[in-house]
Amino acid sequence: YVYSRPPPWSDTLPTIFVITPTYTRPVQKAELTRLANTFLHVQNLHWVVVEDSPRRTNLVSNLLEKAGLNFTHLNVETPKSLKLGLSWIPSHTPRGTLQRNLGLHWLRDSFSNTAPPEGVVYFADDDNTYSLELFEEMRYTRRVSVWPVAFVGGLRYESPKVSPAGKVVGWKTVFDPNRPFAIDMAGFAISIRLILEKPQASFKLEGVKGGYQETSLLKDLVTMDGLEPKAANCTKVLVWHTRTERPTLVNEGKRGFTDPRVEV
Amino acid sequence: NEELWVQSVLEMPKRRDILAIVLIVLPWTLLITVWHQSTIAPLLAVHKDDGGDSRRDLAAGLDSKEYCLSDRDIVEVVRTEYVYTRPPPWSDTLPTIHVITPTYSRPVQKAELTRLANTLLHVPNLHWILVEDSQRRTPLITRLLRDTGLNYTHLNVETPRNYKLRGDMRDPRIPRGTMQRNLALRWLRETFNKNNSQPGIVYFADDDNTYSLELFEEMRSTRKVSVWPVAFVGGLRYESPKVNAAGKVYGWKTVFDPHRPFAIDMAGFAVNLRLILQRSQAYFKLRGVKGGYQESSLLRELVTLNDLEPKAANCTKVLVWHTRTEKPVLVNEGKKGFTDPNVEI
Repeated sequence: YVYSRPPPWSDTLPTIFVITPTYTRPVQKAELTRLANTFLHVQNLHWVVVEDSPRRTNLVSNLLEKAGLNFTHLNVETPKSLKLGLSWIPSHTPRGTLQRNLGLHWLRDSFSNTAPPEGVVYFADDDNTYSLELFEEMRYTRRVSVWPVAFVGGLRYESPKVSPAGKVVGWKTVFDPNRPFAIDMAGFAISIRLILEKPQASFKLEGVKGGYQETSLLKDLVTMDGLEPKAANCTKVLVWHTRTERPTLVNEGKRGFTDPRVEV
Repeated sequence: NEELWVQSVLEMPKRRDILAIVLIVLPWTLLITVWHQSTIAPLLAVHKDDGGDSRRDLAAGLDSKEYCLSDRDIVEVVRTEYVYTRPPPWSDTLPTIHVITPTYSRPVQKAELTRLANTLLHVPNLHWILVEDSQRRTPLITRLLRDTGLNYTHLNVETPRNYKLRGDMRDPRIPRGTMQRNLALRWLRETFNKNNSQPGIVYFADDDNTYSLELFEEMRSTRKVSVWPVAFVGGLRYESPKVNAAGKVYGWKTVFDPHRPFAIDMAGFAVNLRLILQRSQAYFKLRGVKGGYQESSLLRELVTLNDLEPKAANCTKVLVWHTRTEKPVLVNEGKKGFTDPNVEI
């Protein structure tokens, strides 16, 4: 057996385009490292990393080069006004929106609607945890596929409700189950063909109520009964919405104790 | 006699034909059996499950109901045999890295171990020793370990509960993970003979930290005890050994108690297995250990400062991060629970 990382590209497998928004903070490199370690097992994966920054940073550039993954490195800075949630209306631009939209834009720029590649788009935040099985579940999505996600909505997991006929008929959530798509960002994947067919479909930037970001995109792509349930008809949890603690850096003091040239 | 002779002459070609058929069929049956049993089957199974879909699109002529071995299937088998396996094949020349991970049940446990396993699955000659803090080995861990395909040993020992305290609190005098790490050391000493020179390295990897792949290659060449920087410990971006121009460790770049004998985090050192086996009484001290002195309690019985081997470009690179995972909010489960408890997370 020959061992290579990532596995060699296959001409027959649909490509999984993973869009990850990311931003600079102490744990960024750690998050991207362990995420890359997961992606390096998945065949035909193309990682679209979109930094929330005015320029592509060396940290991310170097990490991507060294990892060996198939990747595209983009960046777009969320304007300060949006970041602060300037408006007094109780809504905000959830983090990562501009970056995810840029990822979609890049896909639409790179591939033609008339000869779309076989594949799916998946939005993977850099602090979640993904099983390898998840990627094989989403690979053959026809339109939009869905599955349970752990640690969202104040629950052990949220899940689509699937009828005995295998159709999605609702959402098993406590928080606002009547949303058109009561599902977390990590709980669905969209076929490339559909993304290219509906070039106007994007995440809404402003005036989005908490928990409605996913809906703002999906409503322009699919209806509930067009959804494809995965993960054994949505009975298995294959992705966890983990969050990483902010590290204590008190001992750096005012001037800093560690060498700032040493990358963390 | 003539009749018998004619009969045997007639039978001979039959036997030759049978032999010919066997020689042709045998390789194909072997190929199919290997294909079904090997670990690449999961990769191919993906093709098969939706083989109907993709094949329908690509080859309209094929009857999708008929499951027969088409030429494409056989080509796929041959190609994937040379492609990818997980973990990498075992090597006769690389020292084994024994990774000792204590773990305990809590909501994020499966997630932590999943992403840790995803990292470990890239490292050749890795042996994962997972030690549960539990009365019995749990089905969750048993299944997880088996499904990863990693080389592993599954142990358990329960840290005694302090029944005087309210609820199910563990004895606070025993730092978390200590008994579990010690059990793994004992297992190593019971399993390996110190005269048998099976090269190995021992590393303590907590289940919520983050490890680069480069780190494992750095530690593989450890002769006695090797050390390197660790991020997000001691209230700093990273703590690091101090290395002089001669490449020797002479102190510790930390703010918190830099005069500890070994001011280093659990994730910042690795020990040669031979040393573990030679100093068979060296364990982590169980009780009466001041905060931050756990690592010293073991290392002082194994090595002196002078003997430490600095790795990671003379301790100038950070290859491991002491990340911690937030406790998930589960308020909406309420008193009776909202989600199906049979669904494992």
